[in-house]
Amino acid sequence: MFSMAMFGQALVNGVSLSAIYVLIALGFTLLFGIMRVVNFAHGAFAMLGGYALFFAYGQYQLPYAVAIIGSALLVASAGLIFEYFVVRWFYHKMFQSMIGLMGLNMAMVFTGVIVWDAHERSIPAAASEVLFVGDLVIPADRVVVLAVAIVVLFLFWMFISKTKYGLAMRAASQDVEIAGTQGINARRIYQVAFFIAIFMTALAGSLYTQVYALSPFVGERILMVAFVVVILGGMGSIPGAALGGILLGLSESFLSTFFGAAVSTFVTFGAVILLLVVRPWGILGEPE
Amino acid sequence: MFSTRILRHVLFLLMFTALGIARAQAPEELKIGVIAPLSGGGTAWGLALQRGAQLAVDEVMAKGGLKIGDKVYAPKLVVFDSQYTAAGGRVAAERLISVEKVKFIIGPIGSPEVLGALPVTMKSETLMLSNGFAVPILKNPENSPYNFRVLNTSVEFGPAMVKWYRENYPKSKKVAMIGPNDSVGQMVVPQMAEVYKSQGFEVWSELYERGSKEFTPILLRMIAQKVDLFDLAGNAPSEVGLMIRQARQSGFKGHIWQAGGPAVDEAIAIAGKLSEGYMSFNVFDFDNPKAANFVKAYRAKYGTGIINAQTPIWHNATHMLFESMRRSGGTDVKAVRNSLEKLDGYEGGLVGPVSWGGLAEYGVNHQLLHEFLIVEVRDGKIMTRATITPVKR
Repeated sequence: MFSMAMFGQALVNGVSLSAIYVLIALGFTLLFGIMRVVNFAHGAFAMLGGYALFFAYGQYQLPYAVAIIGSALLVASAGLIFEYFVVRWFYHKMFQSMIGLMGLNMAMVFTGVIVWDAHERSIPAAASEVLFVGDLVIPADRVVVLAVAIVVLFLFWMFISKTKYGLAMRAASQDVEIAGTQGINARRIYQVAFFIAIFMTALAGSLYTQVYALSPFVGERILMVAFVVVILGGMGSIPGAALGGILLGLSESFLSTFFGAAVSTFVTFGAVILLLVVRPWGILGEPE
Repeated sequence: MFSTRILRHVLFLLMFTALGIARAQAPEELKIGVIAPLSGGGTAWGLALQRGAQLAVDEVMAKGGLKIGDKVYAPKLVVFDSQYTAAGGRVAAERLISVEKVKFIIGPIGSPEVLGALPVTMKSETLMLSNGFAVPILKNPENSPYNFRVLNTSVEFGPAMVKWYRENYPKSKKVAMIGPNDSVGQMVVPQMAEVYKSQGFEVWSELYERGSKEFTPILLRMIAQKVDLFDLAGNAPSEVGLMIRQARQSGFKGHIWQAGGPAVDEAIAIAGKLSEGYMSFNVFDFDNPKAANFVKAYRAKYGTGIINAQTPIWHNATHMLFESMRRSGGTDVKAVRNSLEKLDGYEGGLVGPVSWGGLAEYGVNHQLLHEFLIVEVRDGKIMTRATITPVKR
């Protein structure tokens, strides 16, 4: 069954899958890295991103760039309300944050069911064409996801490494008390980090639901993927999230294509379990 | 003074008499359990079940309640989400029976949840009108004394559909099936594989973990097998739409259909233009003039969303249960069960008269047989290609 055409197609599929996985994991790992919050409401914020895009692009037909950026900004802004009333009470309380945000997740999901119904919906694709490059078949919507993932990763890297806020975030993530003595307003930094994390989560949710389908329950899978990716890459590590997403995307694509879905699931989760045994802090993470 | 006292006594007497009459005429609440997948990939079917049953209840209540003998009941649905899982089905059944004290259950829909609920309902002798394609739902050592299946399964419609496809597309030689790796896929895929083989098809199949959204790698394996027909078999609505979209985006040019489901509206909603040419089993045609009032009532209560084709099936099943209660003259489970078994010919909903079958396949005549359709998506609309009645065996 092996052929170069199939290898090439598996590579293309793997890269597009990796892009989605990296985007999903970024916001999740950022919150943990800086505030030590395990965001179990990650999937619900992603779901809100999907609905925001559904209305902005699918219903009100705003230009795509405006719709997708505007949707993520809207959800991130609304996220600050949740941050104020719920999330901030769980900063640096890892286990409490899991339970508290699981509750927030359920409240958000079932509010979604009441408001939007449980039916699955489809968001029109930004590009519905299928590109043929030699023997390769490339859906254009996956190219859009890949482009967005590259741009977001680059901008995020620039923000973290080249701006004062980025520097302050890194300082706060290493030691919040010492950062405070240097004049860094930790509360403000946490708000900025939360805003950025939810912006990226909502953006990932918009793209994910556009490629697949949208329902109030879409976040379950998103949360699971985010968890696997950050465990692979290392909790709290941004390069780890990128590496974990790429590893998971490529391994799923190649293993499923050449050995079947059952082998892919077995090997992928087997590798995660093995990693948790020999290196629990992940490939690029740091031991606590 | 004396006359005032008499008058007061008479007034009290009248008041108590009036209260007594009102009490005698007030409908007694009758809890009916509903087990439906209201989250996850089977949500569209779960909503069809809940809403179909609720519309039947509304119709009964609009006529003043369910009159059984000299009593009037107010049926009330108690709904639990089974999440399309065996554990969900079992927990829902346990809660309904032990906490809510229900004796009658409508649903669940999928094989895992029905198989999860069945041991609980059988032990407690609770009457269940369910679906689920798995054969052991009816064929089991106890002969399913209290479980009735109200939708055709692939055993009833599968052979007829494959025969129809063979006659209409004689050049097709190889079929692929990709199904969920649970009791649905593990039972439906091998069973349908035998049906295809009996019609001279070569069969390739693969199972995936339910909850997956990315099918492109499996579809790539399928395309490499050079198959002519892709059967979506036992997949839930959201998976159906995604598989169609991803198969076409991966360059698959063959026929796609589902000998199962149905989830045609959901497929169109999710796959959009890529659903063009998709064929499927279907159970109801909403363009049928008989459906006008039903559609109107549905729209008034639930808005303009998709009406899943299973909705009239569950509306019908609920009316069948009510009619069995009426004929049995009470709510004793055994009496209602016996009455339900003799309901052949009764037409309470929109899917034709009741016809029980299944003795040959399952050892018990608890399989409802109803007319079904083979439909195709053309220009974004559902067109009927064939109407078939299952053979009673």
